Amino acid sequence: MNVAIQILSSGLTLGAIYALSTIGLSLVYGSLNMLNMAHGALLALGGYVCFYVMGVLGLPGLLGVPAAMLVCGLAGFVVYQLAARPMLASGGFETRIFIATIGIGAILGNVIQRSFGPQPVAQPLALHGALVLGEVYVPYQNLLILFVSVAMMAVVALLLGRTRVGRAIRATAQNRDAAQLMGIRIGRVYAQVLALSGALAALSGILISSLSGLLPNMGGDPMLKAFVICIVAGLGNVFGAVVAAFLLGLLEALIQYLLGVQYSFAILLLIVIAVLIWRPAGLFGRRQVVRL
Amino acid sequence: MSALLTLERVSAGYGHQQVIRDLSLALGEGQLAALIGPNGHGKTTLLRTISGLLHPSGGTIALEGRRLDRLRPDQIVEAGIIHVPQGDLLFPEMTVLENLRMGAYLPEAAREEARRLEEVFALFPKLRDRQGQLAGTLSGGERRMVGIGRGLMAGGRLLMLDEPSLGLAPIVIDQIYEAIATLRASGRSVLIVEENAMRIAELADVLHLLDNGSFAWSGSGAELLSRPESLAAYLGA
Ligand SMILES: Nc1ncnc2c1ncn2[C@@H]1O[C@H](COP(=O)(O)OP(=O)(O)OP(=O)(O)O)[C@@H](O)[C@H]1O
Ligand SMILES: [Mg+2]
Repeated sequence: MNVAIQILSSGLTLGAIYALSTIGLSLVYGSLNMLNMAHGALLALGGYVCFYVMGVLGLPGLLGVPAAMLVCGLAGFVVYQLAARPMLASGGFETRIFIATIGIGAILGNVIQRSFGPQPVAQPLALHGALVLGEVYVPYQNLLILFVSVAMMAVVALLLGRTRVGRAIRATAQNRDAAQLMGIRIGRVYAQVLALSGALAALSGILISSLSGLLPNMGGDPMLKAFVICIVAGLGNVFGAVVAAFLLGLLEALIQYLLGVQYSFAILLLIVIAVLIWRPAGLFGRRQVVRL
Repeated sequence: MSALLTLERVSAGYGHQQVIRDLSLALGEGQLAALIGPNGHGKTTLLRTISGLLHPSGGTIALEGRRLDRLRPDQIVEAGIIHVPQGDLLFPEMTVLENLRMGAYLPEAAREEARRLEEVFALFPKLRDRQGQLAGTLSGGERRMVGIGRGLMAGGRLLMLDEPSLGLAPIVIDQIYEAIATLRASGRSVLIVEENAMRIAELADVLHLLDNGSFAWSGSGAELLSRPESLAAYLGA
């Protein structure tokens, strides 16, 4: 029983973090067919902006989080304007933007390292203490992460399902030409999606760093897992990505408990390969291109 | 009669391949004009150029004198040109109702949404029962009705239909033609692409035969019906 609570607690926390960092990636792929390799750098940027606002400027966390989301949202917008937009006009977009965003990610990582140094720093936004359930300690930080992630996912779901902007995003993801023929300005949709994805990356980066600290390359591992989750769910399938993120989070917690941390990623990848052999389009992917 | 849509010496294509060559066209208010002609001769390309999905490499396109040929597709929709594309291009993960409502996405159309939805259901009663079904799971005939209905939700000044009867069973084609006749009777301006020249000739005010990127023949339905043999070579009749 205690073991189960322990695994559930850390599994759901991992899942929440993965889900949040995956949603943005999945949205961007779903609407633009763009694999954003700068996503990891945006996670780190978000973490560091929050650190800067709270730790250096000494402002409260309620300012640090929105500031980080704003900065990363703007960064996403700039990625659209400077890289994606000019490349969309001509052929070979998917390959070219893939390579371009690797470059953007590297530059961003460098800027962060030069500004804040290569050594790890602690994220000041952290709750201390724990909830005691029988003999198990569930840190408040884990509960906070779970709560923030789920709340954010609800916001995104409402945005996509209930608002005009969300309808435009879904329409663009499902059929680009048809969306334009409805009067949707798809260039604006793309910019909005990249900005939203940046803001989500910031939040996710803050949560990750509140557990494991800040490092300039801290986004690499979560981004890799986010890609894995995207592929398991079916690329571009946002809701599937959330489910897959929690499944993989729980699975990882279980493997860590049974076999130890060092095996978790390798086994995760094995499972992913098995899933893809079984269902090449992903767990929730349709046979054709997967859509929102 | 003043022209609603005017094309002057329009050229368009893909990369170096020119598909539309020096094509001119005037479509009057309230007219039903048909584009006929063999496969692959640029009918769809012409409609995509008018709606801004493709940019013309030369010439001008105007709606009531207002130049459209440098505008984005969303601006052209806003100006009043509604394009129901070949192959429907529905939003597969949305329901029938959501698809129809997407047609009324622009604010001006959104104000008329409830009224137009009733009109669409009156035209295609079957859609009323299918409102909640995902578009990706519809039959070909139902998909076509949603595609046309979605276009009608937008209102607009000119409706462009690209092969609305393509690939449908005869009985469904009859239903689609009935709808087109209703639209025509209501005074809508329509530009329709149709492979079946003889059938559309009964409804159209004017037909244009597109051959190799420009018009090889233009005339009324009566003219085409009275001497189809002169066009038989093109139409394969
Ligand atoms: N996206 C594209 N890229 C390159 N060439 C294209 C593209 N779309 C169409 N074409 C070419 O342009 C020509 C005209 O095609 P278009 O679809 O306009 O013909 P159509 O008259 O509508 O034919 P159909 O009756 O079969 O629909 C064809 O030779 C086609 O291969
Ligand atoms: Mg065609």
